[in-house]
Amino acid sequence: MELLQAMINGILIGGVYALIGVGLTLVFGVMDIVNFAQAEFMMLGMYIAFFLFQVAGIDPILSSLIVFGVVFLIGALVQKGLIQRVMNAPMVSQIFLTVGLTMVLVSTTQLLFGATFRSVTTSYQMLALHFGHLQFSVPYLIAFGVSITIYFLLWLFLERTDLGRSMRATAQNRSAAILVGINDKKMYVLALGLGTGLAASAGAVILPYAYVFPTVGHQYALIMFTTVVLGGFGSVPGALLGGIIVGIIQSVSSVYLPTQLQNLVVFIAFIITLVYKPAGLLGR
Amino acid sequence: MKRFSEVNPTKCFGFLFLVVLFLLPVFVFGTKSYYLRIAVLVLMFAGMSNGWNLISGYGNQVSLGHAAFFGLGAYTSTLLLKYIGLSPWLGMIAAGLVSGLSSLLVGIPTFRLRGHYYALATLAFAEVLRVLALYFRHFTGGAVGLTVPYLGDSFWFFQFYGNRTYYLVGLFMLFMTLLITYRIDRGRLGYQLRALKNSHEAAEVVGVDTYRAKLKANFLSALITGMYGTFYAQFQFFIDADTVLGFWTISVKMALMTILGGMGNIWGPLIGAGILVPLDEWTNAVFTGNLAAVSRLIYGGLLIALILWQPRGLLYWIYQSVARVWQRSRGIEKIGGNG
Repeated sequence: MELLQAMINGILIGGVYALIGVGLTLVFGVMDIVNFAQAEFMMLGMYIAFFLFQVAGIDPILSSLIVFGVVFLIGALVQKGLIQRVMNAPMVSQIFLTVGLTMVLVSTTQLLFGATFRSVTTSYQMLALHFGHLQFSVPYLIAFGVSITIYFLLWLFLERTDLGRSMRATAQNRSAAILVGINDKKMYVLALGLGTGLAASAGAVILPYAYVFPTVGHQYALIMFTTVVLGGFGSVPGALLGGIIVGIIQSVSSVYLPTQLQNLVVFIAFIITLVYKPAGLLGR
Repeated sequence: MKRFSEVNPTKCFGFLFLVVLFLLPVFVFGTKSYYLRIAVLVLMFAGMSNGWNLISGYGNQVSLGHAAFFGLGAYTSTLLLKYIGLSPWLGMIAAGLVSGLSSLLVGIPTFRLRGHYYALATLAFAEVLRVLALYFRHFTGGAVGLTVPYLGDSFWFFQFYGNRTYYLVGLFMLFMTLLITYRIDRGRLGYQLRALKNSHEAAEVVGVDTYRAKLKANFLSALITGMYGTFYAQFQFFIDADTVLGFWTISVKMALMTILGGMGNIWGPLIGAGILVPLDEWTNAVFTGNLAAVSRLIYGGLLIALILWQPRGLLYWIYQSVARVWQRSRGIEKIGGNG
C-alpha cells in the first residue's frame, strides 16, 4: 500500500518534472544546444508567480499563463541578443555562455530579493482526496493536471500548426528546412522562448508546494538532466515518459531510503541510462 | 641530457627570469602577509585549472564538475589524517588515486558518446557527492565542515606556520603540474587529444583510440585536481561540502580561469588565476552581506563577455595583437625600403 501510494505521488510530481524538462529537450532538438540556464528560468517563473500572488493576489496556477508569456519574451530576447551569437561557435562557448547566464540570473535575483526562502499560502495547500487508504494531495493533483494540459497544448502546437511543423522540420534537418524557406533564426527564437517559458510555467505550478529561493534551480538540474536523457535528448514525448519515471524513482526510493539520498538513486538511474540506453527510451 | 654548448642562452635567461619572478613574493611579503596568502591561492588555482585544462581544453570534453575530484581529494587525505594519522603527503597520493579512479565512473559511460553527456554527467556527479557529504555528516562533518587537526609546524604533517612554506610547496606543485602538462602536450596523448578535438572521425581513421585517450586525459586531470584538494585542506585547515564540492566555488572557477587565460595552453590557467584570484578576493572583501552576490554577478558577466568577445582567451588575444603590430611595423619598413 505504501508502495502504491509512493507510485501515485511519483506520477503526480513526475508530470511536473516532464514540464520542467521538456524545454531543455525542445531547445536541444531544434538548436543542438543544451541550455544550462534552463532551471534558472524555472526559478524566474517561481519568483514572478510569487510576486503576482503577493501583490495582485493571483493564484500561481492561473498566473502560470502570465508567467509563460513574460518568460517567453525574456527567453526570446536572450536568444536574439546572446545565444544566436554562439550558434555556430564550438560547444565550449555554447556551454559557458549559458553557464554565465545562470550566474547572472541567480546573482541578480539574490541581489533583488535576498536569499530568503519564500512560499505562498493557498486555500487548497493542505487538502487531500482520500480513496480508501490512498491519498491524493490536491496541490500535486492540480500541478499534475495543469502540467499535462500544457504538455497537450505543446503537442497540439507542434503537430497541428504550421509554425510547429516548421519547428519540427528545423529540428529534423536544419539545412533542408532553410532550403524550403523556413527562417531558422526565427525558429531558434521561438524554441528558446517556448523552452524557457514552459520551464517557468512549471515553476509557477509547483509554487503551492515548493519554496522559492535564488538557487532553487540548481536542485532541479539533476532531475531535469535525468528526465531528458531517460526520455531521449530531443524527444518531446520522451521527456513526458522520462519525467514520470524520474518522479516514480524518486518517490519510491524515499520509501526505503532517507529523503536526502533520493538524488543518489536518480543519479544512478542517469548513469545506467547512459551505459545501456544512451539514446533514451524514445530517442531518435 | 643536453651538453652545455647546446643550451640556448635566450631560453636559459627566460627560465631564470621566471624563477626570480616566481620567488619574488617570498622575499617581498612577510610570511603572515595577506598578499602572500593570495599568491598561494593563485598558485593553487593555476595548478588545478591546468588539471581541468587537460581534459576540457586539450581534449575538448567540457567538465562542469571538477569540484567532485577536488572535494574527493580534500576529504580523502583529511579523513586519512584524522582517523589513522596518515601524513597528508601520502594522503595526497591517495587523494589523487581516489579522484583518478572516480573519474572512470563518469568517463566510462560518457566517452563512448558524443555531445554534451560528459558535461551533464560531471555536473551531476559533483552535485551527488555534495549531497552525500552533507548526508553522512558523522563521517564528513556535513554542512558544519571538517577541521584538519593541527599538529604543529611540521613538514611530515604538511602543516606550516605562516604562508612562506605554503608558497614554496605551491610553487613546486605548480612547477610539477606544468611539467606534466607540458610533457603530455608534446607527447603522444597531446597529439591524440588535438586530433580528436579537431575531428573525432578523422582521429579514429588514423588509428587513435579516442575513447582511451579521453579516459586517460580525464584520469590524469582528476588525479591532479584531487591532489590540489589535499593542498587546499592543509592550507585552509578546514573543508566543508558546500565549498570543496561546490559548483560555483570550484567547478566554474576552474573553468573560468582557464577560459580567461586560454584553453589548451599550459600558460592559460596561470594568467587566468593571476587575474581572477585577486579579483575574487577583492570583490569578496568589498561586497559583503546582502551584496555578496555582486561578485558572482561580475563573474557571470565576465564569462558571457569573454565568450562573446574573445572565447580563445587573453593569451591568444595578446599573441594576435603583438603579431599585428609586428606585421605592421614590418610592412612600414618595406615601404620605406622601396622608397
